[in-house]
Amino acid sequence: MKRMISILFAMLLLFLPVVTVCAEEPKRLVDGADLLTDTEEAELLQELNEISVRQQFDVVVVTTTSLDGKSAMEYADDYYDYHGYGMGQDYDGALLLVDMDSRQWWISTAGYGITALTDAGIAYIGEEFLPYLSDGEYFKAFSTYAELCDDFVTQAREGEAYDISNMPKKAFPVATRLGMSVIIGMVVGFVGVTALKGQMKTVRAQSTAGSYVTEGGLNLHTSRDRFLYVHRDRERLPEPDHGKGGSSTHISSSGRSHGGGGGKF
Amino acid sequence: MVKMMEYECPCCGGMVEFDSVSQKLKCPYCDTEFDIDALQGYEEDKNTESEDDLNWEKQAGTAWTEEEKEGMQVYICQSCGGEIICDKTTAATKCPYCENNVVIKGKLEGDLRPDYVIPFKLDKKSAKEGLKRHLEGKKLLPKIFKDEHHIDEIKGVYVPFWLFDAKANGTARYKAARVRTWSDSKYRYKETSFFSVVRAGEMGFSKVPVDGSTKMEDVLMESLEPFDFKEAVDFKNAYLAGYLADRYDVNAEESIARANDRIRQSTENALASTVMGYTTVIPESTSIKFTDSAVKYALYPVWILNTTWKGKQYTFAMNGQTGKFVGDLPVDWGAYWKWFGVISAVTTVVAFLMSYIFWLI
Repeated sequence: MKRMISILFAMLLLFLPVVTVCAEEPKRLVDGADLLTDTEEAELLQELNEISVRQQFDVVVVTTTSLDGKSAMEYADDYYDYHGYGMGQDYDGALLLVDMDSRQWWISTAGYGITALTDAGIAYIGEEFLPYLSDGEYFKAFSTYAELCDDFVTQAREGEAYDISNMPKKAFPVATRLGMSVIIGMVVGFVGVTALKGQMKTVRAQSTAGSYVTEGGLNLHTSRDRFLYVHRDRERLPEPDHGKGGSSTHISSSGRSHGGGGGKF
Repeated sequence: MVKMMEYECPCCGGMVEFDSVSQKLKCPYCDTEFDIDALQGYEEDKNTESEDDLNWEKQAGTAWTEEEKEGMQVYICQSCGGEIICDKTTAATKCPYCENNVVIKGKLEGDLRPDYVIPFKLDKKSAKEGLKRHLEGKKLLPKIFKDEHHIDEIKGVYVPFWLFDAKANGTARYKAARVRTWSDSKYRYKETSFFSVVRAGEMGFSKVPVDGSTKMEDVLMESLEPFDFKEAVDFKNAYLAGYLADRYDVNAEESIARANDRIRQSTENALASTVMGYTTVIPESTSIKFTDSAVKYALYPVWILNTTWKGKQYTFAMNGQTGKFVGDLPVDWGAYWKWFGVISAVTTVVAFLMSYIFWLI
């Protein structure tokens, strides 16, 4: 009898995850602040679903008009935990919360998200989508976030996660590099023509009589180096600023571990 | 009565006092501490310095003999006042300085006879080739200048030089500093040690030439240096045959200042080059004394080429002994900006490509 119960229980356990994942899969886009048009919403949702399923990693976007008195971090963590996001037994995923009331954004990570999206990685992603977010180009901001999550998870799975020492390359800054090159070119050009112009001038006074020094040159008979005094200075070094990399985590109200980061827009 | 010794702080110039705690001398203004011996020695170094003594024993040249005078002729240009000497067989038709035909003969009188002469080693043909080489490879030379220029005349001129011999005794004092920096986890330390450095030495100079003619630009003549005095011979009238000799119009005494400047600079440089191992070296005082000084009078061989272009006269000169060719050339500003553009553009493209390649890596 006891064995029967344990077998039944084990079978139930087998079915349980399947049931929760399939039956109650929550929407990966919740546009509570209504920032997107319907077509944009559909397109973004499709993109989020595609990435999430392919990577087995939930990429979620939530917008709201109120944090209900919580901090952005608490709100995002709780939203993630209580709406059942996260894939696998570690609830792998990342949620981007945008609150229009306090104009704050926060990315909450869980499970594999903590590994793939380090503190520095979240800061990087934030920098990339922030210009769109600030300009009200919400669709662009969210799809940038989604694409970068995709990249970051792929990178983490293939090797080492993007972190302080290996950030993804930013786009080649054409304008600044071109400007620098032009300045270098002008300087070299000026040095070049100055040298050419120097060839034209061969009439120069001699400042020394070096050619007429008799054999033996300088006969040094006194050479004295007398120590006088010493000055000692010291200067405080700036605190070493090299970050440790990796992800910092905290425990949310549900008791689960989250990573994350955010800012204003 | 106790004798009060007063020492000036070498750091800030204040008067230092004895500090009984550290048993050292201490400056009350800048808090620097000194060893008593060090300051005493420093004061001695400062007090033993002396004034420059740049006196020359001036006995250059000898008098012409009557016989020699007979064989010589002086031409004076009525246009520019230039004076040249040549032997009776050489007929000067044009003034070598201003190209005018108005030259009149005069008699050689009162001048000194040169002690030495360096005979011409290179002929007129070499001078022409020298000019050709001089114009080659000059990217900014106006093309027309190359084609249009015509050498008005090439003249071999013996230029009068005063030659100065001396032993220069130089003493120099420097304030030198050695900086040492290191750091631990909290601080960066910088320790600057100051030294009083004294160098004294003797340096011989032989036959430092100074142009004795105002008609020949000093700078142009100095550009032709060096002349090798080893090939100089005692002066004889015969060497002047076929050449013109410039008559000196600056005497030895007036030329001394230029020789002094150059000898002093050489001595200072030589002394300074022996101060090594310091981060900074600042000269505080130098003094130079001359001994065994002598002045001689010599004629040095120079080829002079004049050409006029766009109303401006360009003078070239070639060392008649070594073949060194000098003379400023006009600059083609069109070519100047063209080259500037080409070099800038190429460098810009290369720099941009390199920065892109570095970005890709």
